[in-house]
Amino acid sequence: MSGPILETRGVTKAFGGLVAVDNVDVGIEAGRVTAVIGPNGAGKTTLFNLITGVYPVSSGEIRFDGVPLDNMPTHKRAALGIARTFQNVLLFGNMTVLENVMSGQHPRSRYGFLEAALRLPKSRREEETITLNAIKYLNLVGLGLYAQRDALSLPLGQQKLLAIARALATEPKLLLLDEPGAGLNRLEKQELGDLIRRIREMGITTVLVEHDMDLVMGIAEWVIVLDSGRKIAEGTASQVQRDKRVIAAYLGEEVE
Amino acid sequence: MLSRVRGKWSYLAIAALLLFLIIIPFKWFLGQYTVILIFIGIHTMVTVGLCLLMGYTGQISLGQAAFYGLGAYFSAVLTKTHGFNPWLAMLVAALATGGFAYAIGFPIFRLRGNYLALATLGLGIIMAVLFRELDQFTGGPTGITGIPYLSIGGFTFDSPFRRYFLVWFFCLAVLLVSQNIVRSRTGRALRAVHGSESAAESVGINVAQFKVKVFVLSAVYASLAGSLYAHHITYVNPSPFGFLFSVMVVVMAVVGGLASVWGAIFGAATVRILSDEILLRFGEWDVIVYGLILVLVMVFMPRGLFVALKEAYERWRLTHRQRGAEA
Repeated sequence: MSGPILETRGVTKAFGGLVAVDNVDVGIEAGRVTAVIGPNGAGKTTLFNLITGVYPVSSGEIRFDGVPLDNMPTHKRAALGIARTFQNVLLFGNMTVLENVMSGQHPRSRYGFLEAALRLPKSRREEETITLNAIKYLNLVGLGLYAQRDALSLPLGQQKLLAIARALATEPKLLLLDEPGAGLNRLEKQELGDLIRRIREMGITTVLVEHDMDLVMGIAEWVIVLDSGRKIAEGTASQVQRDKRVIAAYLGEEVE
Repeated sequence: MLSRVRGKWSYLAIAALLLFLIIIPFKWFLGQYTVILIFIGIHTMVTVGLCLLMGYTGQISLGQAAFYGLGAYFSAVLTKTHGFNPWLAMLVAALATGGFAYAIGFPIFRLRGNYLALATLGLGIIMAVLFRELDQFTGGPTGITGIPYLSIGGFTFDSPFRRYFLVWFFCLAVLLVSQNIVRSRTGRALRAVHGSESAAESVGINVAQFKVKVFVLSAVYASLAGSLYAHHITYVNPSPFGFLFSVMVVVMAVVGGLASVWGAIFGAATVRILSDEILLRFGEWDVIVYGLILVLVMVFMPRGLFVALKEAYERWRLTHRQRGAEA
C-alpha cells in the first residue's frame, strides 16, 4: 500500500437544516479502485462535489496528495490532478467528440488569448500536442471512429465514455466517476468495467459512485458505504456485503 | 473530411468577400455606398465582439454601445481637448475601455441570464446619460466637433474613399484575430463555458476569468470601432451611443449567426442597409421592426442568415443532383 492520495477528516456539509454529508472520514488509497455506495440521498454525489470544490465544506478538512484543499476553486483542483464525470454527463454540446476531449487538455497546456489571436508558433505546437493526446484518450475509450461527430449525436453509453475520455485528458491522479454505469446495458457495463481496469493500470486512482452491485463487486477493491450522510461501513466488497448495518440501510430494518 | 470541406468553403467565401470589398468603392466611390460600407465595417467590429461573448461564450450583453461610445469619446476628447496624436488617442481609448470592462467584469459576471442582461442594459443606459450630462468633458447634447482625421506620415484619411480602406483594414484584422481565437485552446474554453460551466470548471477552465477576458476583448473591439467612427464623422454627440445601438448590435449578431465570426459582416450589412434604406420610413417605430427581425430570425434561422442561406443552397444542389440521377 502506498498510502492515501485523498483524505477527508470530519467533513460535513449542511444545506440549511439538511446535513447531506455528516462528519465523514475517508482515505482513498493511491492506485486502487474504490467504490462509494449507499441508498439514494446518502450524500455520495455531495461528497464528490466537496472533493472537487463545487461547494465549500461546512466543516472538516480535505487533503489531496498531502495538500489541504480548503477553499481552492474547482479549476485549480483539476490542475492539481482531480478529474470527474457527472451523473448527467454534461458534455459540451456545442463541440465535436474530439473537441470535447481536447478541452480536457486545458490544464496541461499554456497558451492564451495573445498567442491564439496571432497564431504564434507556440500555439501551433501546443495545438498539435493537444490534438494527438486527445486522439490517444479517444482511442483508449474506443471512440476514435467518432472523432468528428457532434458530441450529443452519440448514444448515451458512448456519451458516458466520452465524458471519461474528457476527464482522462486532464491527466489526473484521481478520477471520480459519478454513476458511470447508470443507463448502460449489460454489454456496455462489461466494457466499462474493462475500461476502469485499464485506467487502474495507467496508475490513476479511481473512485466511483455506483448503484450496480455486480459492477462494483467486479472492479472495486475497496468499498465505502454511506447512509444519510454518514459513513456506516467500509471494507472489501464481500466484507461490506455481510455487514449488518449495510443490509439494514438498504432494506430499511431497524438495528438494535 | 468535414472540416476540410468547411475550410474550403470559408476560404472561398473570404476570397469572394475581399474581391467584392476591393471592387465596390472603385465603382461607387463618389456615391453613398462607400459611406454605408464604412459603417458596415465599423458595426461589424462591434458585432464580432458580441458574437464571441454571446455566441461562443453564452453571455449576453445589452450594453455594447457603452464601449463603442467610450472609444469615440476618448478619441474625441483626447485629440480635440488635449491635443493627442489620433493614433495614440485610439490606443489609450482601447486600453482605458478595456480596463473599464475588466473592472466591471468581475462583479457583473457574478450574474447570469436575465440578470446579466439587465445589468449590461443598465450599464449602457448609465453611459448614455453620462455622455449627455458630463458637459465639461463631452460637450453635452451638442457634443464635440472638429475631431481631426487619422493620418500616416503625410497621408491623411480625409475622404470617404480613403477611410473605407482604413476601416476595413481594422475590420478584417479584428475578424482574423477573432477567427484565430475561436479555433484555439481559448476558443474551446469559451465554448466550454457556454456548454456547461460545471463541466468547464471540472476540466480546469477558470470560468469567471474567461468570461471577463472575452468581455474585455469585446469592449476593446467596440472601442476601436468607436474611435474609427469619431475620426470618420469628425463629430460626436450622445445619440449614436444609446440603447438603440446596443439593440442593433444584438440584431446584427443574431442575423449574422451568433456562433459565426464571418457572419457578423452579413449581419451588420443586412441590418445597416435595412435601417438606412427602409426603416427610415418607420421613424421612431424602427425599434419595433428590429424586435420583429430578432424574433423572426431566432425562430426561423436560429443559426443566422449566413448559415440559413448556405443550407438552403446545399439543399437546392442536393435536390438537383437527385433529379439528375433520376433522369
